[in-house]
Amino acid sequence: MVSRTRYRLKQHHKFEQDDQKYVADLETGDIVKINDVEWEILSRYESQTHHQIVEALKKEYKLTAIFDGIERLERLGQQGGLLTPTVETAEPTTPNQQPKLLVPFHFTKEKLALDYVTNLNRYQSLKHLAEFAELETLAFPEEEKEDIPPLDEVRVRNISGAKSGTLMSPWYAMDGYDGILLLSQFLTDDLPYYRIPDVPIVHCIEGDQRLQHILLRTLLTLCAFQRSKDTLVVKASWMKAWLAELGAPVENVRVIPDGIDIVQPTGDKVLAKQHTAAIFDKPMFVKQPVVGLISGFEPNRGAAWISEFARTNPHLAIFVYDAMLAQHYQHPPKNVIIFNADGEETRAVLPVFFQALDLVCFPAMPGTPLPIVLEAMAFGAPCVAMTKYGMPPEVIGAGVNVEADWDHFGNFRMSMVKLSETINQWLQPSDARTQCQGFAKGIAQRYTRKNAAQALIQVFEEGFQRRTDDFRTERTLFPPIFCRRYEPDTGTLRSSVYRLGTNRYDHLETALAEVLAEGHTPAEVESVFKHFQRECSIPVCEITRAGDGFPNNNRETNPAGQEHQQKGETYR
Amino acid sequence: MIGFPKILHQLHLFEEEGVPYAADLDKARVVELSAVMMDILKLAETQTDDAIVETLSTSYEENDISEAFERFAELEREGLLFNRGEDLERSLATESKWRKLLVAIPGINVDSFFDIETLSAGTNMALAHMIQHLTKYADLHFTGSRNRKIADGVYEIDIGIGDLVRLRSQIAQTYYGILTLHQEQDRWLLPLYRHPEFPPILVQNHAPRGHGGQAINSMLRHYAAMRDWDGFTAPSDYVRDFYSEYVWDPSFFNTLPNGVDATLFKPMEKMVAKREIAAEVGDDRIESVPTVGYLSRVQSEKGASVYLKLAELNPHLIFLIAGPNMGRYASRKLPDNLVYVGFHPRERLPLIYNAFDVYCFMSMSGEETFGLTVLEAMACGVPPIVPNFDGVPSVVGDAGLVADAQNFDHDVATLVSYPCPVDFSEKINILLDDAETWREFSQRARKRAVAFTWDKTARRIVQLFEGLHQKRKLANPHRLLNVFTSTQPSEDDEQQRLKHKSLVLSMNAHYERCLMRDAVYPLSVEDGVALSILKNHTTREAEALLAALIPDETQARITLKRVRGLIDGTA
Repeated sequence: MVSRTRYRLKQHHKFEQDDQKYVADLETGDIVKINDVEWEILSRYESQTHHQIVEALKKEYKLTAIFDGIERLERLGQQGGLLTPTVETAEPTTPNQQPKLLVPFHFTKEKLALDYVTNLNRYQSLKHLAEFAELETLAFPEEEKEDIPPLDEVRVRNISGAKSGTLMSPWYAMDGYDGILLLSQFLTDDLPYYRIPDVPIVHCIEGDQRLQHILLRTLLTLCAFQRSKDTLVVKASWMKAWLAELGAPVENVRVIPDGIDIVQPTGDKVLAKQHTAAIFDKPMFVKQPVVGLISGFEPNRGAAWISEFARTNPHLAIFVYDAMLAQHYQHPPKNVIIFNADGEETRAVLPVFFQALDLVCFPAMPGTPLPIVLEAMAFGAPCVAMTKYGMPPEVIGAGVNVEADWDHFGNFRMSMVKLSETINQWLQPSDARTQCQGFAKGIAQRYTRKNAAQALIQVFEEGFQRRTDDFRTERTLFPPIFCRRYEPDTGTLRSSVYRLGTNRYDHLETALAEVLAEGHTPAEVESVFKHFQRECSIPVCEITRAGDGFPNNNRETNPAGQEHQQKGETYR
Repeated sequence: MIGFPKILHQLHLFEEEGVPYAADLDKARVVELSAVMMDILKLAETQTDDAIVETLSTSYEENDISEAFERFAELEREGLLFNRGEDLERSLATESKWRKLLVAIPGINVDSFFDIETLSAGTNMALAHMIQHLTKYADLHFTGSRNRKIADGVYEIDIGIGDLVRLRSQIAQTYYGILTLHQEQDRWLLPLYRHPEFPPILVQNHAPRGHGGQAINSMLRHYAAMRDWDGFTAPSDYVRDFYSEYVWDPSFFNTLPNGVDATLFKPMEKMVAKREIAAEVGDDRIESVPTVGYLSRVQSEKGASVYLKLAELNPHLIFLIAGPNMGRYASRKLPDNLVYVGFHPRERLPLIYNAFDVYCFMSMSGEETFGLTVLEAMACGVPPIVPNFDGVPSVVGDAGLVADAQNFDHDVATLVSYPCPVDFSEKINILLDDAETWREFSQRARKRAVAFTWDKTARRIVQLFEGLHQKRKLANPHRLLNVFTSTQPSEDDEQQRLKHKSLVLSMNAHYERCLMRDAVYPLSVEDGVALSILKNHTTREAEALLAALIPDETQARITLKRVRGLIDGTA
């Protein structure tokens, strides 16, 4: 890929003789024949980015010729001529100026797949972000591939003259943006943007219940694509905890809950309960304590769990918010209402129900919509969180946690008795309850859309500061040749690595890690080694990536691996 | 004093930040100069040392001028700035527009290729014949340290092995191919493969194994490092067959049979030959008793010990040995019927061969690919008996007998086989017992030998280069992008461990969509590793790596084929 490694042009001299162009590297003393386009590239190399070079030359030269020219010159650099790899420090952003962010849209497909409230939140986030950043999206009029939603806050940049089949949209993202905001929830749409150097990417993942089945895959894949400058933004703390639990790299995962709209009580709680009871024709919602259950369960298992919960607690009136079950769960137990905001009307009425709640329960697990939890609590209802990660930081001080467990397939397990006890306890008036009610009321002030937008901008700035090359940049002085090696004493053949220059064999694993690190992040290299260690017993050697934390897999602490290694010798 | 005027290389003089430089375009090197050196260079082609001193003495101190002269002398020794040897520019211009081949065989004096008498080793002799015939199809430029014409279409040029990488663009423009010889100790050739600019490189190999594994390992390194459009040649199919056990793509091993000069090596009146040799060594048994012949160095690996046994087993025959000396066998008590006939120059060899009734080739060395002497004996109408190992039986065909040999599964101290003395003995007697049988084999031997011509060898080299150029056209850049990622544990994995996979993007490194849709496609980690390694390493290197990573070789081969196809199909 062009421009992954940055190079500095060494002291050189370009000249022409007998219609042939040359460049002399005055540091090594070598002279290289160059063609016209390489001449032009060299003239611009110091002062322009690759993007600028290509854009400037593409009228006169074929794109391939320009890319090939850059590649050839940079290959010289890898081999020690003309260019020398360099680690540039990021120049500071201009203060007091709004960052310019690219926001690629792929909304059509997603709008159908995502929950109504999620879509609404995404729209609101963009609107508020536009107060702090200049937002732009790309349109390719000739392709007409995507409807651009009517959003006044996002400017549309028409890329005209870009014939389909050449330069995909990520190319244009290199041009003058301080960052790229990716909102797609489906893996494939925006991944190519991650191959752009230098521009920080912030990718927001929603944790929508409807996408629960692909959520883990999406998150893990994005973690793999990420580079130091990039940030994965999840909307609830438990999403990050979940990734960390799985051993995924979470250094660049940030939790930024969506803001909620300011909650203004429409009357008192009694009135809200009466409205609720009337709307659903369930008088018990006036008489009994009302408990809200904001669900993110896997729908099928969720329905079973909710039934059991309702049967165990017949004294409770249970208001369930579940984006999927509301439509499909036709005959819930009598003490249960299942609701989902799926349009303007239902969204508008939601605060009434929330105001009726005496307590909010929610599984703090992927799929549970945090903004709904926060809104439900914002009228002053304490919460009972159900999770394995401890009290979620978003609601600390506003309730209590009950230990729960789940697996990646939606099986949710917890003690129903313990849950009932806790709920009953928290429904009783107490100092703790009063304190939590007060804290819950403050939620709306803490989780504003403005705060969320500012936090996003902050993440972009941090990403910009973290711009470093994630790939191995130092020149390989003794390039490895992967080859087979014959051992005359045993007459066997095995794979090895021979180093040019030192003229001796080296460990295969060392060279493999070195070669992979040229185009892959340390996390990816680790992934490869983990894979083969398990299946193919190749031990991870010390990796020669200076200044990076590639894990040094200690063979002493891994007797199983050692045994495999010995076995491994025999098959080769 | 240095001896101006001199012919200068093509130079470009310039200054950068006040420092004068000369860009030597013939050597692709920049030389830092001083002001006085710059001025001298301007006069260097037309004026003598004295005239230069006189011209410049008004502007420079005499010391500075003489220092500059010394520096120029140094640079000339390094091959810079000044033409060394003849001014080839002119003579080359008058030459035909033949294809030019660069021949890089360091360590062997170029002149010796054109004076075969000075050569002894079969390898070098074969090279010399081949090179002489090759001049009919291409101009040959030998790497060296001065410019000179050796013969029509044959030059030594002032390009040293150390200059090759730097001069690769020039070499690419001038030469159709690079012809070289595999020498396992050489270190200059491997780095060349890293440069796609070079024209195809054809590496002659005459010693496929032996030397305690060093030969094989060197070959395997070359095989791995070679570009898609480089290759080996070896005198017999055996080398390809042998390496098929070691590598996945034996097409890199091309057979390039040796030839024989059938006008020099031809049958003559046997009695005349025998009489002459008998007179020479003072042993008239040679005239009356059937003779068995051996022509080689008298050493273990050439089967000398076995030959001695043959003599002991067959007291009724005379066993002749022609070779430089008897080596360590000289101090032994040798069988009475073993006669050393001395070392003979090339033009005498036909006489020696003709004094043999049968020829025994007994080498047990891992360096034997062809057996040039077998072909020479055959050309003289002498039926050969060869051991059943390596490339020699393919040379003999039906024109001689193949005796049993115990072949080793891997070489031991460079030996790879032990020819069976009893079987050799039987085969000798079969040929010598019946005059009719002998005559039949003798005729077949001559007939088969004349089909091996050096001209064919030379033409085959040109063909091979043509084939390599075609392979070069088929080579594709690899611009696919892939990542490695963890993925969801599977439902049946109780420990819920993360799995791993690779993904390939539909956008390539040139920001083009090279696969269907804007998408990523899942691959196995194995496929991904192959894809990643192939960015800067050859398919043969990927082969070595996958062989290590994937226990099932069939699967490993399938992986490489699939990934190669993906790259080529989306280039």
